[in-house]
Amino acid sequence: MKMHYDIEGGNFSAAGRASSEIKKTLKQFNIAPALVRRIAIALYEAEVNVVAHAWKGTMNVDLTPEGINVVVEDEGPGIEDIGKAMEEGFSTASDRVRQMGFGAGMGLPNIRKNCDEMYLSSTPGVGTRLEIKVYFGASSVCESCHRNFPAE
Amino acid sequence: MKDRNYIHSIQIDTSKCIGCSHCMRVCSTQAIRIVEGFARIQPGRCVDCGECYRVCPQRAVYAKDDGLDAVSSEGYRIALVPSVFIGQFPSEYSATRVLDAVKQVGFDEVFEVEQAVDFMKEAYKSIAEKSVSRPLISSFCPAVVRLIQVQYPSLTELIMQVKAPHDIAALYLRKSKEKDGGIPERIYIYYVTPCAAKTVAARAPVGELQSPIDATINMTEIFNKASKIMVGNKNSGLHKTFANMSPDSVNWSLSGTEKKYFPGRSLAIDGMDNVIEFLEKLESGHISGIDFLEMRACDQGCAGGILCPGNRFLAVERLEHRQKRLLKLKDTHGGSERNPLMAFKDTLHGLSGVDPVYPREGLLLDDDMEKTLIKLQRIDRLMSYFPGFDCGACGAPGCRSLAEDIVRGKASISHCVFVQRVMEKNYKLSPDQAFVVIEKIWGRNRLNKYRDSDGKESFTAY
Repeated sequence: MKMHYDIEGGNFSAAGRASSEIKKTLKQFNIAPALVRRIAIALYEAEVNVVAHAWKGTMNVDLTPEGINVVVEDEGPGIEDIGKAMEEGFSTASDRVRQMGFGAGMGLPNIRKNCDEMYLSSTPGVGTRLEIKVYFGASSVCESCHRNFPAE
Repeated sequence: MKDRNYIHSIQIDTSKCIGCSHCMRVCSTQAIRIVEGFARIQPGRCVDCGECYRVCPQRAVYAKDDGLDAVSSEGYRIALVPSVFIGQFPSEYSATRVLDAVKQVGFDEVFEVEQAVDFMKEAYKSIAEKSVSRPLISSFCPAVVRLIQVQYPSLTELIMQVKAPHDIAALYLRKSKEKDGGIPERIYIYYVTPCAAKTVAARAPVGELQSPIDATINMTEIFNKASKIMVGNKNSGLHKTFANMSPDSVNWSLSGTEKKYFPGRSLAIDGMDNVIEFLEKLESGHISGIDFLEMRACDQGCAGGILCPGNRFLAVERLEHRQKRLLKLKDTHGGSERNPLMAFKDTLHGLSGVDPVYPREGLLLDDDMEKTLIKLQRIDRLMSYFPGFDCGACGAPGCRSLAEDIVRGKASISHCVFVQRVMEKNYKLSPDQAFVVIEKIWGRNRLNKYRDSDGKESFTAY
């Protein structure tokens, strides 16, 4: 199943709408609740990145029984040094953005922590493309809560 | 099913229900449908918050409890009374007087639940040290715990694994009576409940097999009986001579006191909508750096409980007043309190824990992933046919709920009155068939009401 969302740059009050919608859909799947939360957090961080840095962007989701694949593309300043951007605590966010509680430099590291695969590419001055994959895995049923759990 | 004794307190009295759908519209978990003219609650989704109870114009929604009839004539009967009960009476009635009246209703002993709060305060300190997950969510409000189980499955692991004060109070009473030679089987503990959720918590607890509470009794019922006993006798001379708990404990069930006792950053959130808004954000990862969440399904905490007969704001003000009086008592005794429960704190520490809370499956469309995907795609397609303004004429609270009911095999696309018009236009549905569909939702004879210009009602005139 495919889902598409537009993300508006600079609109912090709306940040998180797309990831919330996707989270609601995922909650109807028989996957471990912890996995839903991991995906939700990764997608929220990705969405906030677009809002905080880019002019506009899109989030395209492909949901299959095997896993979720999300591509976030934006038109914006891009990332000069991807290696540096992946470091914890590194941020190019403006003071205004930081005052709103964003821009702690944990966005990309947090995404990496919460997904199985992550591909980041960027052309400075043009935009950024982020692809996130999370696999639901060969599921096994948790004995205590009867939910499916991903294989380690 | 993991909930071994899974029941609900909130029920619909079909002899009073007229299927007006007020309840369906306010239900936070979309648990209510209108079927054959009556509201019907889906047990898998209901969290017993009681929002439907508040809005029902027919008083058809009721909170089932064990009632005063459950009070055994044998054995030793103890009533556990929460402080909000005392807040139902004007301040000139002393707490001692109110509790004495409850005793006269038919108990051997009366105990105020909030005396267990002094223990809770200590327990929170050790939980804060032991547990690494943050923010921890208070396990106090059973409606919030159940809301998380149903709607926010990934947050269940954040719910504090500790019993609520009324359970601690019940455990203390059992232990202390046993120590004094009481026979455990002959001790009956009754909880005077301000809400439906606490009744469910006593009957079908989560995280433990059995609650130490034997039965629950509706607070309004006890209020009426106790009021009758106290009538015209405001000042009986019954007063406390010392503070039997720390003064702010009386406010624990309200909003804002509990959070002060968890180290670090904490928030107090009350009201079902506010709780939902915050949990939604927490689940999506929008919130960080918070250590503790005190959550109450009711506005103003338990003072706003659906079974509290009085006004919630007056109750809050009276409890604040009571806190001051306890403070004065404490000061006259050189700042000391005498809470007998605290003598048992070491025993209680060993008994206060509960098992982790597990999610419920209320939201799942199907166990199978492939089938879930197919159902989600069908929901998407159905949504494109529906008008999207959640009129509720289909007997479901919104278009999305109807679409989900359809893919679950519990409704049909012709339940939507807009789709019906299109189907009739295209000769896919006859007006008679459409009529039958509406009657199936809203009940027989619902549509054949007709009043002529004299106001005379006729059932055959259409």
